[in-house]
Amino acid sequence: MQFEENIRVAIRGLIEHKFRSFLTMLGIIFGVASVIAMLSIGEGAKRSAIAKYKDLGVNNIIVRDKQFTDEELEEVRAKFSQGLSLNDAKVIQEIIPGVTKVACQAELTTDVKQADKSARSTIIGITPEYIQLLNIELEKGTFINEDHYNRSLKVCVLGAGVAKTLFQHMNPLGKMVKVDDQWFEVVGLMKSKTLFTETVGELASRDMNTDIYVPLSTYKSRFTQENSLSSEVQQITVQVDDSGKLLEIAELIKGVLQRHHFNNEDYSVVIPFELLKQEEKEREIYNFLLGAIAAISLLVGGIGIMNIMLATVMERTREIGIRRAIGARKSDIMSQFVTEAVAISITGGVIGVILGVSLSLSITFLTDIDTYIRAYSVIIAFGFSVLVGISFGYLPAKNAANLKPVDSIRYE
Amino acid sequence: MLIEIKNLYKNYFMDDVEVEALKAINLQIKQNEYVAIMGPSGSGKSTLMNILGCLDTPTQGQYLFRNQDVSTLDDDSLSAMRNKEIGFVFQNFNLLSRMSAAYNVEMPLMYAGIHKNERRERALKALDRVGLADRVEHKPSELSGGQRQRVAIARALVSNPGILLADEPTGALDTKTGDEIMLLFHKLHEEGNTIILITHEQEIANFAHRTIHIRDGMIHSDSPNDPILVKQKMSSLILR
Repeated sequence: MQFEENIRVAIRGLIEHKFRSFLTMLGIIFGVASVIAMLSIGEGAKRSAIAKYKDLGVNNIIVRDKQFTDEELEEVRAKFSQGLSLNDAKVIQEIIPGVTKVACQAELTTDVKQADKSARSTIIGITPEYIQLLNIELEKGTFINEDHYNRSLKVCVLGAGVAKTLFQHMNPLGKMVKVDDQWFEVVGLMKSKTLFTETVGELASRDMNTDIYVPLSTYKSRFTQENSLSSEVQQITVQVDDSGKLLEIAELIKGVLQRHHFNNEDYSVVIPFELLKQEEKEREIYNFLLGAIAAISLLVGGIGIMNIMLATVMERTREIGIRRAIGARKSDIMSQFVTEAVAISITGGVIGVILGVSLSLSITFLTDIDTYIRAYSVIIAFGFSVLVGISFGYLPAKNAANLKPVDSIRYE
Repeated sequence: MLIEIKNLYKNYFMDDVEVEALKAINLQIKQNEYVAIMGPSGSGKSTLMNILGCLDTPTQGQYLFRNQDVSTLDDDSLSAMRNKEIGFVFQNFNLLSRMSAAYNVEMPLMYAGIHKNERRERALKALDRVGLADRVEHKPSELSGGQRQRVAIARALVSNPGILLADEPTGALDTKTGDEIMLLFHKLHEEGNTIILITHEQEIANFAHRTIHIRDGMIHSDSPNDPILVKQKMSSLILR
């Protein structure tokens, strides 16, 4: 019951000195807002990183054909390497333990036409294992499967971007598109994918919405290489059963390819999982810094509160004397002033939460940086503000409680 | 016997000098007495008042209140004494200026842990007793000096204390208002309260039924006031 009274008196005090209370709260407001903004930026970064790597497959090792100039290619061919091939994939699958599946893809960029519409697209010829290795999300229809592959059917699956350009909002399934100079039937439509704009390791960034998938068998028979020196496939994706073995298996793959390519390093081996871990580590340092800033501002905020409370106690010496004279115990005075300090810090905390959340949302809205607000960050930030109030209100409250009633009641 | 002080001494330190504020004080006060404690400034009357009011403890000797030795009580117990047995009335009222009269009067009950509704009821009754039933929500700044002192008296009364301890209660008031307050004290005395008045004014001390003179930390004299004079004083007041 007296708790209620304390709160009422505390709030009344806050309202009476609005400006002063606000200044006192600034440190807390800033501290809490920055904790929330920082945690949400961190969470957003983590999520987009995970999404990014999910597309590449966390249990995958990606072997990529290196982009060489024609001279370099000639050199490498002269040294007996044919570049990445289906055979490489076969060997990797058969020899290396811990490898579950292997998929190959060949790529070429060309125009795709439908009626009067045209789009520039990357045609990707794939083996049927593809769907099991990589994050394929279909909007409609089916993906390239074994049947398509075995029968070298002229079927394709459109990326969301290509489909939109060629078909607008019409259903593309069953329709024909002209890929390069060949007609293909559309059997599937991909869901729209978020771009990842940074390169991942040596994988160049790409807008996967402009991809079109066709069976590799069809690709080989229907499309002629522009460049006769090009490798048979541009990428081999290898899936392993245990992500703990990724580094080990990557070394084995490098060994196999070294032998089969006669020591020509015309490929690169990328482990998305390792890159993800590295990014996480870098982020940790960043997060730690931001956390330190947030902690410091909360500390400064707390000191501000303590400062004001100390002055307030001085100001109200006589009031404290009166309360003691009519029967308040030391603990009553303590709880009164701690409550006042906590009232300031909680109010600051609430404003800080609102500010922090708005800040995070505006950041996402105005820039490319993703943020993601989780309930726990709000709770933590708020909890800290309460803690600050209690800790920094303690000393002034103790001072107030220890004032001698005899003296303080005569204080002018 | 309500109050018994036995061989009481009080010393305190002013800078580095030890001051003997009270020496060998012996006195007794019965229930429903009306006592004035008089003395010049520096005589020790304020110190005695602080000890009587449990704001301070003696260096030596005993202070028995209702036969309980309060001189050795700890801080929390002393606070409880002040809350329940002592009703202070100060020269400068000592009200909380930002709260209403009712709130000010409720405060001792708050610290006693009394529930809101009962607090309110008792506060309103106390304010009625001092004649301020129509000013309960006013803040001190909206009240005259005399009215403020009445609020302070209501606050002193609200927990039914053993004694009302008034320190120069009319010091900040003009003569007419001061007389009104002394009339109120008279009424409260008639109603059974024990009143201890601290003053340096003879005029005010004459309202009491017994006067204790303090000088240089010791009791100089302790004798009843002439009852005829007291009666005269009261009649003249009532007539005015």
